[in-house]
Amino acid sequence: MVWHIILNNIIWRELYDNLNSLRFAIATVLLLGLMLTNAVVYLREHPERMKQYQENVSTYQNNLYTQAENSLYDLAQKGPGLLYKRLSDLRFCAEGGETFLSEYADGGYNRWSYGSYNSLKSFWILAYPVATPNRHNVRVVVTKVDWNFIIGYVLSLIALLFTFDSISGERERGTLRLTLANPIPRHLLLIGKFLGALISISIPFTLAILMNLLIISTASGIHLRPEIWERLGIIFFISILYTCLFLGLGLLVSAKVKRSAVSLVILLLVWVVFVVFMPITLASIAGKYSSSGPTHDLWEVSSKIYKEQRSEYYSRIHNEIEGSIKRIELDGEHVIKDAEQQERLRTEQLSERIAEVKQARIITRFSPVTIFQHLLESFAGTGFERHLQFLENVQSYAREFREFIMDTDRANPDSLHILGVREGMSKKPVIPESVPLFEDTINFSNDFNRSLMDILLLTLFVVVLLSGAYLAFVRVEV
Amino acid sequence: MLASLISRELLNNLMTFRFAAAIFIILLLVVANTIVLINDYEGRLDSHNDSVNMHKRQLQEIKTYSAGSVHIDRPPNPLSIFNVGFDKQLGNEVRVAPVFVPSLWDAQNHGSSNPLMDMFASMDIAFIFEVILSLLALIFAYDAFAGEYETGTLRLVLTHPVRRGIILVAKYISAMICLIVPLILSLLLSLILLTVSNHINLNSQDFLRVGGIILTSIIYLSIFYLIGLLISAVTRRTSTALMLSIFVWGFLVLVYPNMILAMIGPNQPSQERQTSAYNSIEQMWLEFDNERKQYLATDDFPGEDWGYELRGWGSRSAYLTGSPHNLFYKYRCVMNFSGFGEEDEPKIPHARKHFRYLVPKIIDTADKTWIIRKPALEDIYIHPAKMERIWFKLSPVGLYDAATEAWAGTDVNGVRDFFNTARQYRKQVIDFFYDKDVFGSRQWFSSDKEAADWSDLPHFNYQRVDSYINAMRALPDVCLLFIINILLFVVIFMIFVRSEV
Repeated sequence: MVWHIILNNIIWRELYDNLNSLRFAIATVLLLGLMLTNAVVYLREHPERMKQYQENVSTYQNNLYTQAENSLYDLAQKGPGLLYKRLSDLRFCAEGGETFLSEYADGGYNRWSYGSYNSLKSFWILAYPVATPNRHNVRVVVTKVDWNFIIGYVLSLIALLFTFDSISGERERGTLRLTLANPIPRHLLLIGKFLGALISISIPFTLAILMNLLIISTASGIHLRPEIWERLGIIFFISILYTCLFLGLGLLVSAKVKRSAVSLVILLLVWVVFVVFMPITLASIAGKYSSSGPTHDLWEVSSKIYKEQRSEYYSRIHNEIEGSIKRIELDGEHVIKDAEQQERLRTEQLSERIAEVKQARIITRFSPVTIFQHLLESFAGTGFERHLQFLENVQSYAREFREFIMDTDRANPDSLHILGVREGMSKKPVIPESVPLFEDTINFSNDFNRSLMDILLLTLFVVVLLSGAYLAFVRVEV
Repeated sequence: MLASLISRELLNNLMTFRFAAAIFIILLLVVANTIVLINDYEGRLDSHNDSVNMHKRQLQEIKTYSAGSVHIDRPPNPLSIFNVGFDKQLGNEVRVAPVFVPSLWDAQNHGSSNPLMDMFASMDIAFIFEVILSLLALIFAYDAFAGEYETGTLRLVLTHPVRRGIILVAKYISAMICLIVPLILSLLLSLILLTVSNHINLNSQDFLRVGGIILTSIIYLSIFYLIGLLISAVTRRTSTALMLSIFVWGFLVLVYPNMILAMIGPNQPSQERQTSAYNSIEQMWLEFDNERKQYLATDDFPGEDWGYELRGWGSRSAYLTGSPHNLFYKYRCVMNFSGFGEEDEPKIPHARKHFRYLVPKIIDTADKTWIIRKPALEDIYIHPAKMERIWFKLSPVGLYDAATEAWAGTDVNGVRDFFNTARQYRKQVIDFFYDKDVFGSRQWFSSDKEAADWSDLPHFNYQRVDSYINAMRALPDVCLLFIINILLFVVIFMIFVRSEV
């Protein structure tokens, strides 16, 4: 017989076996139920989130325009205001811990004003508020049912249940002997079994995904743009690759172990350790060891620095008459220096925190489910990496905004060019439309490069496991 | 007869691969995670101690009584290693000041902790048991009947004059012994690790609580063993039984707890309840404000300035402030002077008299609004959470989680105990201030003659509640777990007795 006919026969036989089995039915029901939940939850939450985001952005724009109309000083002192993170439409794929990441950066953080006897006010700085959704939350905290959960945990378990007896089961029943009595090469049998299991898992999985997308895309108020469908395609491909990993593992253990019950026990224990426990345990280890001692309370450090600044300022202005150029210069210097110092403090704190999370993310990548999660996050445009992208956008916007203030001031020859004080700055009205606006972009071009490594790693795992399964199966005595 | 049956079953189980695997995997996971968890606990304890010291330092720097408020910190619970519950996530520092009543919803987190790390789920031993014990129990149970049906040994046994009930009991007892051994072993090891650590001091009460956790774990384990037996008795084929068991496990442990809460959606707190409570609280404060103004208008000092036109070196501020989402409202009135001019001296007695009148008034209003705020917070936050819990508890995992949380004292009640103590402490502070006539003293608003002296302030001391109370909190869930056990046992008995061999 020609090899492809053999392969075809094997695959069909596996498919018939699987489609008639109890596990196929249960897996279908489970996947459909989970995907339905996912779609329903997304439709309940997402339009509201979108509306909130749009309201926030328009409030931000209006505020900016009002300040610009007042004067350049007001604009420069109050700053652009709250800068919001653009929401991803694919949040149903990977929640990515978004609730623990702040949805805005505070580009208008003002700390003090000297009140009645001195008109000096602190300049805005860029501050990074934290999201603490659970600080007052007395409800049960559970994992979000997103694709990451459904595929990463449930589908991988199903993949093991489809393969644990594919070789050992046949050996127990004696059918393997029968099959190999025919002139069928062993590798074809293995490939056939692998493809058969893959196809029979893909059927309920694809059905569930299609139902999920159908519900989401037909709902009013949600438009999935063409490029989003591309990303969904990639996500589907990655999911299949991830499933292959567990199919390979199942085949390997099934070929190595004589009894299918033992094979399942081993597989389940391996799965529980690598998928359920490893990400959490490793994250706790990383959290403990990467932090270099307790960081100082930001508030305490910042108020100490500010107090030093202020007393230095008081001692310097002691002899200057209010209103003199020298005094205005000193005032401006004090305000600007204070803002720079305070912003640097906050940026340092942020980068320390980010470094800790990054470390934890690297360590947790020993678990395949974490690799899969990172991939999903980067293609869905959610999660930590996306948050870093947002912070970068915010910082570059803050630079642009400050340059705009300086350029506008420089363009006016009547101004004293002393930033930080009302008297020292241009008094010409600012055209609101000329002020740069913050617009967060979800940058897609980087994603693929960053993820390529992860995809290669997953592929490597699959190849290693499959060749392991082949080696084990070739040596099996029937 | 029973003894020989049990020993037969025990031998059968002990010699298997799964028993070795069970011991190995439980020991591995529990010991590895205990080490990590102890480290994590020590980190939190350090952060707590840092925070306590910082707050002490900050308090000493405050020179007037009106500007000061005591920050108290919630220590991490050492039993959070067994079930972390709400110990980590809820706020762990709160301000105690005479002018407002502290609650869980006013708490903050230590400034030094990294909120971004909350992204990662937290681990505890109860979670390990939830996942692994249930899985192992099913693995031990799937072939108990189905295997014997298939090999025909059941038929053989029943040719002897043995009652079927005895066989069932023998199977149950022997498998439970095999499962309890790794459980006890691992918990003992983790207890040894705990006692070896310098930072963790467990008292006899804590050992009682751990005993409660062990008991609950055994009952939980038994539920899943019985579920496995049920499946095994019904399906009669090992491969089907195993498959079905794993699906049931996946559903009960993995899918249901996460899916159900997403399905029913967040139980939105009733907006009307919140608005009406907030409005009546605000009303009370506005009434207070009127009375305050009345006093200023009628006292024997001309003008209505609450600061009595004191022109010194320092700062003053007074305002009403509130936030509707946690029904927080207060009148903040701070005066912090370090010296006065000559012309201020005659005004100072008036100011002292005013504060002697005003601050008790604020305290009274704060106490009065708390009477409204407390039940409102209960309705808005606690009640919906309780309703969600009921759904969650439909799975044994939910019951087990709630019960171990209650034993460890990391449930909502355990955390709220701290805030009850904080409120009692506030009363002590107020009494202390009254005794020293702090409100009418010069140091209330000025440090020119003498700075505020915080050294003999009553000491804040928080003791976790008695283990008896923990037991009472855990008891309903433990009982439910037990009842499920009995129901399952009865059902299996009925099926097994009537089944044809």
